[in-house]
Amino acid sequence: MKKMLAPALAALSLALPGAGQAQVKIGFINSITGPEAPIGENLTNGVDMAVEDLKKKGVNVQLIKQDDTGKPQVSMSAMEQLATGDEVAAVVGPYTSATANAVAKLANQYKVPQVVPAAAKEEITRQGYDWVFRLNAPAHQYAQSLLDAALEFGKPKTIAFIYESTDFGTSVATAGKDYAQKKGLKVVGDEAYQKGAPDYRSTLTKVKAANPDLVFMVSYVADAILLMRQSREVGLKPQAFLGGGAGFDTAQFESEKDISNLVFSVTQWTPESTPGAEEFANRYRQKYGKKPTYHAACAYAAMMVVGEAAQKAGGDRKKIQEELKAGKWTGIMGEVDFQDYEGFTNQNKLIMPVIQYQGGKSVTVYPKQLAKKKAVFPFTWK
Amino acid sequence: MQSVISGILVGGVYALIGIGLTIIFGVMRIINFAQGELLMLGMYATWIVFSWLGIDPFLSIVITAPLLFLWGAFLQKTIINRVLNALPQNQILLTIGLGLIMSNSIMLAFTSDYRILTTSYSSSSFSVGGISISQPLLYAFLITAAITGALYWFLLKTDTGQAIRATAQDRDAAQLMGINVKAMSVLAFGLGSALAGVAGALISPTYYIFPQVGSAFTLKAFVIVVLGGMGSVIGATLGGLIIGVTESLSAVYIASGLKELVTFVLFLGLLLFKPSGLLGKTRA
Repeated sequence: MKKMLAPALAALSLALPGAGQAQVKIGFINSITGPEAPIGENLTNGVDMAVEDLKKKGVNVQLIKQDDTGKPQVSMSAMEQLATGDEVAAVVGPYTSATANAVAKLANQYKVPQVVPAAAKEEITRQGYDWVFRLNAPAHQYAQSLLDAALEFGKPKTIAFIYESTDFGTSVATAGKDYAQKKGLKVVGDEAYQKGAPDYRSTLTKVKAANPDLVFMVSYVADAILLMRQSREVGLKPQAFLGGGAGFDTAQFESEKDISNLVFSVTQWTPESTPGAEEFANRYRQKYGKKPTYHAACAYAAMMVVGEAAQKAGGDRKKIQEELKAGKWTGIMGEVDFQDYEGFTNQNKLIMPVIQYQGGKSVTVYPKQLAKKKAVFPFTWK
Repeated sequence: MQSVISGILVGGVYALIGIGLTIIFGVMRIINFAQGELLMLGMYATWIVFSWLGIDPFLSIVITAPLLFLWGAFLQKTIINRVLNALPQNQILLTIGLGLIMSNSIMLAFTSDYRILTTSYSSSSFSVGGISISQPLLYAFLITAAITGALYWFLLKTDTGQAIRATAQDRDAAQLMGINVKAMSVLAFGLGSALAGVAGALISPTYYIFPQVGSAFTLKAFVIVVLGGMGSVIGATLGGLIIGVTESLSAVYIASGLKELVTFVLFLGLLLFKPSGLLGKTRA
């Protein structure tokens, strides 16, 4: 019975799409469980919304979700499965830098178009991989936007870096150190930490002793809250705290009013970024009961772009790649255009907005054309 | 100085986790690899009573400790007692399995979201002579000291405490003397679990809570206990403080990213030169 069922089902699945609109198979790799899951959830929601919206546009996407648990080796086997087993037309994801970088190699090897929605590690699009596209801005942009903003608001002279020893953390911090030196800032502190340690006080005390004007922190999820709490405990008080996205750009961090107040963070997207962004944020809030993070917006935009390109190319991988390379899209992330520049391949040029938390609310304060409020500088503890 | 102080404060809580593990090991000769998960349960219990009933994390130990005691005693009575005479590797696998079941059940019930307890004193500190002392850590340390004191008294002065120690010293002889060793094992496991639960409650105002938080602490507890000498309560206290201070100092004088490395190198060194731990006696 079972033996007969399988071919029958296969025949049915072949026959069905022909009856309606053409279906495109797209893979999605994400941290659905594991330590990065709280942010991963945003990406999943964004992608789900994009699939619905694509349907309205007449693009019927069959989404195949894979959980990488945040581990590169798991994401690699997920990619193998998608490329060879499921034979998807293209892949969106994975989320973290380490996993996205591992998957990029395979995408190029199997010649599957991959669109990275939110991973920042520079190298991902710097290895000349023709099949790897990145929608979000790479690590140096985090540092560049933040430091440009800080230099516009005040006259800081020294800076200290505190970052977790992951691909994302070191990548952003390295780019930050380069850019700071270029801008004439003196790096007086350079502290990598092991994420998930309960006590950062000794690290923060060391930074306090160096008395920097700016403190630049990079962390995923909850470490941002711990770092700020313990900064307050040890009395670290620079002119500004600069948070490099991720953990500093979550609803949880925002809601911790006492410690998030006046902290700056850089982000890929805010609901104020583009005309359509506000509407997306409202719909998202209605559907999931919370504010979308930039991860959700990036994942949404990436899926929209991939869905449309795949539809146009009729599911053919090579044609999708050409389509992504040549096309331009306008959506909630502004204009998406994958270009080759400064050693990057297929990298979307995105200027990252800088936000500041003011009384438990994030407001865009930089660049000028997006700013909604004036930045408060220098920093004071309440 | 600053780093020594914060090292001692953090070390105090580490010690509490270690003491729980060492009591269990002392009485039953079982290394409980679910110790970190018990701590995680303590954190979740604390989080629940804090966010639903508004009970302060430090006060909530009067609820979490008995709760975890009962849970531990239940585990011992129904599951672990069956493997007391089994091969050590089977015992280890059993406790690891129990830990996995606990962390994954919590993940099913509460999702993998990070949870943060925010109390009025979460980021406050006292400043004494230019040294800042974290308020939540200080309270946690004082409570730890009180509990450790009470535990010593219990183990040294009460009949039950002496019976536990007798069982730890020599199981067979204790049984011959008319001590109900099975009951003592249940008591010891309950006690060990309660201590892990208290440690969880005490760190929850300064740390974040998620289902997999236990594994890091299991490893730490294990290192602390071996460092101090398996089965020695004083050794575990000392081990906790040493690990706390070492981490803190190496973060300042070497590099933050290397503090775990320094701890483990120290640990390895100790194992090479004094395999039984600082205060450990080699097993007869």
